[in-house]
Amino acid sequence: MDPVAHIRAGAETGTPWRFRLEELAWRDLVDGLKQEALPFVGLWCDGTDVHVLFLPHGNQPLAATLALEDGRYPALSPARAVSSLYERMVFDLYGAEAMWARDVRPLVDHDVWTSTTPLASMPGPAGGHKGMIAYQPSEAFLAAEGLAAGIGPATGRTGAPMHVALTLAGETIVGAETVTGYAHRGMALRWRNSRVDEACRLSGRVAAGCSAAHQVAFCQAIETACGEQIGHEVSQLRVVLLELERCVQHLYTLAALAQEAGAVLVASRCMWFREQLLKEAAPILGSRLLMDHCVPGGVSLRSASDVGDLCTRLAELGEENYSALSELWRGYPGLSARLAGIGILDRAALERLGLDGPVARAAGGDSDCRRDMRMYDGLWRFTAGRHGGSVDDRTAVLLDEVGESLRMLADLAPRLGLTAGGRIDLSYQDGEGIGMAEGPWGRVLYWVRLLNGRVEHVFLRDPSYPALMAFETVLPGQNVADVALIKASLGVNAAAQDG
Amino acid sequence: MGLIRAVFDATFRQGGARLKPVGPRWPLLLFHVDTGGCGGCGMELQALATGPYDAQGAGFGFVQSPRAADVLLVTGAVTRSMMPVLEATWQAMPTPKGLICVGNCAVDGGMFTENYAVMGGLDRKVQIDLRIPGCPPSPHDVLEGLFSLFGKRLEENASAGQDEGVGSSSTSS
Repeated sequence: MDPVAHIRAGAETGTPWRFRLEELAWRDLVDGLKQEALPFVGLWCDGTDVHVLFLPHGNQPLAATLALEDGRYPALSPARAVSSLYERMVFDLYGAEAMWARDVRPLVDHDVWTSTTPLASMPGPAGGHKGMIAYQPSEAFLAAEGLAAGIGPATGRTGAPMHVALTLAGETIVGAETVTGYAHRGMALRWRNSRVDEACRLSGRVAAGCSAAHQVAFCQAIETACGEQIGHEVSQLRVVLLELERCVQHLYTLAALAQEAGAVLVASRCMWFREQLLKEAAPILGSRLLMDHCVPGGVSLRSASDVGDLCTRLAELGEENYSALSELWRGYPGLSARLAGIGILDRAALERLGLDGPVARAAGGDSDCRRDMRMYDGLWRFTAGRHGGSVDDRTAVLLDEVGESLRMLADLAPRLGLTAGGRIDLSYQDGEGIGMAEGPWGRVLYWVRLLNGRVEHVFLRDPSYPALMAFETVLPGQNVADVALIKASLGVNAAAQDG
Repeated sequence: MGLIRAVFDATFRQGGARLKPVGPRWPLLLFHVDTGGCGGCGMELQALATGPYDAQGAGFGFVQSPRAADVLLVTGAVTRSMMPVLEATWQAMPTPKGLICVGNCAVDGGMFTENYAVMGGLDRKVQIDLRIPGCPPSPHDVLEGLFSLFGKRLEENASAGQDEGVGSSSTSS
């Protein structure tokens, strides 16, 4: 059975790429997905329906919808492992149960909220738990024998809070499980019926360091829902934001990895280079973490006409510093040796979890949504890098991508000239739209439904979902001292994942 | 070659403003807890700790355990799951101790006001010794805020430090 044809055979809806299925057809779809490799994006609920989104060809979306029956729906996790995180989230927020799900433990609701199932039409009573949240291990985790240990949520490091429960045999990890939800801020509730500009500001605060990617994807979704398209010049300004963000975020990650690996000098060189870039960019763009520069219909920059010059200066800075940094990284005594051979992700795990972004590229996966994007025409090029899948390979890919982004910024400089930027006025009609961007860690995708000039519902796909699963998958067999390295190299971000 | 150059510029840091410790006790040790937010304030703290701001030179150090800390730096909007963690961290710190809220979220929730999962900042819930507003505050803002604990301004100290640096290098040469 071809799942694409199967979905298309469903009843049409107001959105041309979304089809409504009956429950039996949905079950057939789950069975069909076990055999076919249709790229899964995510699953979400809006209280009455449950939706699942795929990307069959490039960036072309295809969604299936099923009405909840008695608050239940057949799970997709038997066919797509990562769906289990979405199913757990849907249960915590709406109380909708996934039948035959692989994992039904709570994901973000740990019985301390002021109401259970807060987004359901009738929210439940308040959680009765007091004090530190209790952790419910899975059966597989309980079966692992050894010394129990845990890391987090308050580690003194700067990442978003999460807990990693470990079972150890000596120094080797036997079982590992994450406890998330510490950073859950109720984004879905905040987005519900919010004003469009307010929703856009919120999307920039899902995960710092990926703000530009989130806001570009969100704004595109709003623009598609309104049936508008932004001009070429404005889209090029957005590319500047995205590539600059990739550059500084990768440098930040590389610094964290070097620090963790004991190469403090390399870490400070990475951070120094990052600060140099930000020192140039912040006065012209308006902020350091690139928040709130992409708005529905255009961009909002402090001085858009200087962005062309800015790109030239960033490229010059890159020329002065990048090769020295890259040389230092590769030649620093013991750094590559420390990172080599740990946290290896193989192709099979990659495909099973639907990973993308630099993590997938470092393991031989070929996924980059910039390839099919019009705004990257003549800018993006395929670059082959290392593909061993270890932490060392991932850092090499990150380092290469910094160079590629700097090259793109150099190419953008003459194209931009004295572009004025600006924005078009959108009239918010009822409808649905989808938008995506390649963030520092992979594809960021937004699905937005507008109703009465407001944002009625938002679904967000962030690479942190598969990254969390990959993190849990890769830990057994590793040394306990490498947990922080592996976590940083996979782009695990609890802030984005908890929502 | 790259290594030698890097060692040299770490040793004889040219260009970076050299800061002089401001605190009565040196260094002032900070423990950071992210209580649930976007993580932007945490990134800026990391930039302050490892970037070219010379936080160590100014007498501020980041530690990995609350037992070694003098000051608790809180970022994020304080989710209900993180509140007990924050309390336990506070209890683990030796007295005297202080509490600093970095960023709008930690102060009053900022964009993340109170809802089913979020308590919405620490303002009017506990005694806060210093508020550093911003979304997120830049590393410079944070450093300036920390300086204000001792009634000093960052600019004054930077120029004093630089003068001293120039003086000492001329005497040694």
